[in-house]
Amino acid sequence: MIFADRFTEVIVTGATGNQGAFHIPLMNTYAREVGGKGVVAGVTPGKGGQSIHGIPVYNSIREALQEHDATASVVFVPAGAAMDSVMEAAYAGLELIVAITEQIPVHDTMKAIEYARLQGATVIGPNCPGLISPGECKLGIIPSHLATRGNVGVVSRSGTLTYEVIHELTRAGIGQSTVVGIGGDPVIGQTFSDVLARFEGDPGTKAVVLIGEVGGSLEEEGAASTDLPLVAYIAGVTAPPEKRMGHAGAIIEGGEGDARSKIRKLEGMGVTVADRPGEIPDLVRGFL
Amino acid sequence: MRHSEHEAKEIFRAYGIPVPAGVAIRTPGELAPHLGTFGDQVVLKAQVAVGGRGKAGGIMVTDTAQAVSQAESLFAKEIRGEPVREILAEERLEIGKEYFLSIAIDRSSRTPLLLFAESGGVEIEAIARERPESVRRMTVSPLLADIPPFALRDLLGGMAKEFAPIVSKLYRVFREKDAVLAEINPLVTTPKGIFAADAKLIIDDSALARQKLERGRAQTEREREAEAHGFSYVDLDGEIGVIGNGAGLTMATIDLIALYGGRAANFLDVGGGADRERVKHAVKLVASVPKVQVILVNLLGGITRCDEVAKGILEAGVGQKVMVRLAGTNEEEGRRLLASRGYTMFETMDEAVRAAVEAIR
Repeated sequence: MIFADRFTEVIVTGATGNQGAFHIPLMNTYAREVGGKGVVAGVTPGKGGQSIHGIPVYNSIREALQEHDATASVVFVPAGAAMDSVMEAAYAGLELIVAITEQIPVHDTMKAIEYARLQGATVIGPNCPGLISPGECKLGIIPSHLATRGNVGVVSRSGTLTYEVIHELTRAGIGQSTVVGIGGDPVIGQTFSDVLARFEGDPGTKAVVLIGEVGGSLEEEGAASTDLPLVAYIAGVTAPPEKRMGHAGAIIEGGEGDARSKIRKLEGMGVTVADRPGEIPDLVRGFL
Repeated sequence: MRHSEHEAKEIFRAYGIPVPAGVAIRTPGELAPHLGTFGDQVVLKAQVAVGGRGKAGGIMVTDTAQAVSQAESLFAKEIRGEPVREILAEERLEIGKEYFLSIAIDRSSRTPLLLFAESGGVEIEAIARERPESVRRMTVSPLLADIPPFALRDLLGGMAKEFAPIVSKLYRVFREKDAVLAEINPLVTTPKGIFAADAKLIIDDSALARQKLERGRAQTEREREAEAHGFSYVDLDGEIGVIGNGAGLTMATIDLIALYGGRAANFLDVGGGADRERVKHAVKLVASVPKVQVILVNLLGGITRCDEVAKGILEAGVGQKVMVRLAGTNEEEGRRLLASRGYTMFETMDEAVRAAVEAIR
């Protein structure tokens, strides 16, 4: 288990918007199931004093922290203001910030991530589903019924493809320690290398499934940085060059970042690469 | 969104970066009134978004007297499959030396990355591969408004005095225009001073609204329609129409089709909250792709309501076979609805994809 546990108290920013209001009860239902703290406060500027699904709403993170001992935030704030919310959380001293929002201008993301780093905060995302440690905590939107507790870590640039993989792992009787969606944007707070370093320090993780896609070289850099047993899957083997495949970061640029060359490099480092998601459980079992 | 060379140069000019005198034309006749401004020779550059444009015949140097007829012949060409809709006619520069200057976003350091090389032009990629040390690199903290002087000195070496103002101006373009790439290749010295002989400017798609821009013109009709519905869509050239939720899962579905020997006709990500209406529109859109014989719907989500999705598929009422993989809430009801109309619902992605590929054979 990495990043957070059942004792982590969470503030949701953008709490009264559609996404925030929808996911607060899902996160807290899960927290109750596992005996965890979950979401203790919401923040929406101008909506202080209201409550949402039994959770008090504050005008700012600073206000919320006068009443609660939260150390993490989950950001559902719309794209234009999401990175402001990340900086607010970092300034207020929160340690972990999970940014779910998508379609954030990348210049905003670069600034906010650098700002948060200087404040000592860890940012996951943006454009990500967040994380779940089955039996412990859920920060974000990963469907908890697909996950089950175990000793395989999962780290992924994707959302639903991650759900597909944990669904397959769970069906095969292989549980997960922590599942982290790092986000589909070109600039993200936690890269594969960062998350793999955390998994290395986690005695509860025996092997890791790395789910990557076309664009950039974060997969290769991550694999080169770790000694953990890895099973990788790379989406986009058939993706045409220079076309954005849904995610802002999923684009083959200047002949770089295509799936086959990624797979070749990973295999060159001795990483086991699955041809299809359905093959992952059997390959992981070999390491357990 | 990629600006044409002409648009990029107009923006560079507005930021004080010297660019050659030029005019963009859409018909050969539009060139005639401008010929007096060019001198003895004119450079005609096809405004197409393909690499290696010069080698493919997209750039012509001509005597000014022949410029109109030469423009006519360039308009008649296709450059690497792209028709020539616009030509940039420019004065011919007396080029001394060529340099390479680029500002991009570095995913690993999460910052802007400056690149500079004392050789530019079409061979820069080969040079960068063979002698990577000849391309100088500097990252800049995104929290700084300007590039600090030490970074300019480190980047430019002996050319710092001449080039620092242009690098600083290009960095302002990069920041203020929400660019993901701002590139001058080649940056050239001439007797009249330094010029951006070419210009490349790509704007972040997530920032188009605040930049008051619209997405590129390279899109197909269907890609535009898909965008109006809020789908991510890319045309491919196979026979199996694909609808998925989430970019990664949809890409993986297309890869799996290829692994089992089939070919996808498209990439369509319906996005989050795949409800009845959205699925209906998606199925209709994919069914309208001429080559599509089978449609494969692969939706997985905790909150996707399978019964609603099933209704959307049935309401679309398309002629092609539809293979459906659904996982979410109310799965049983969804399965029953689909089965009642002769559709098959599969439990796993593997089964659904294999069935779709089989159906084509």
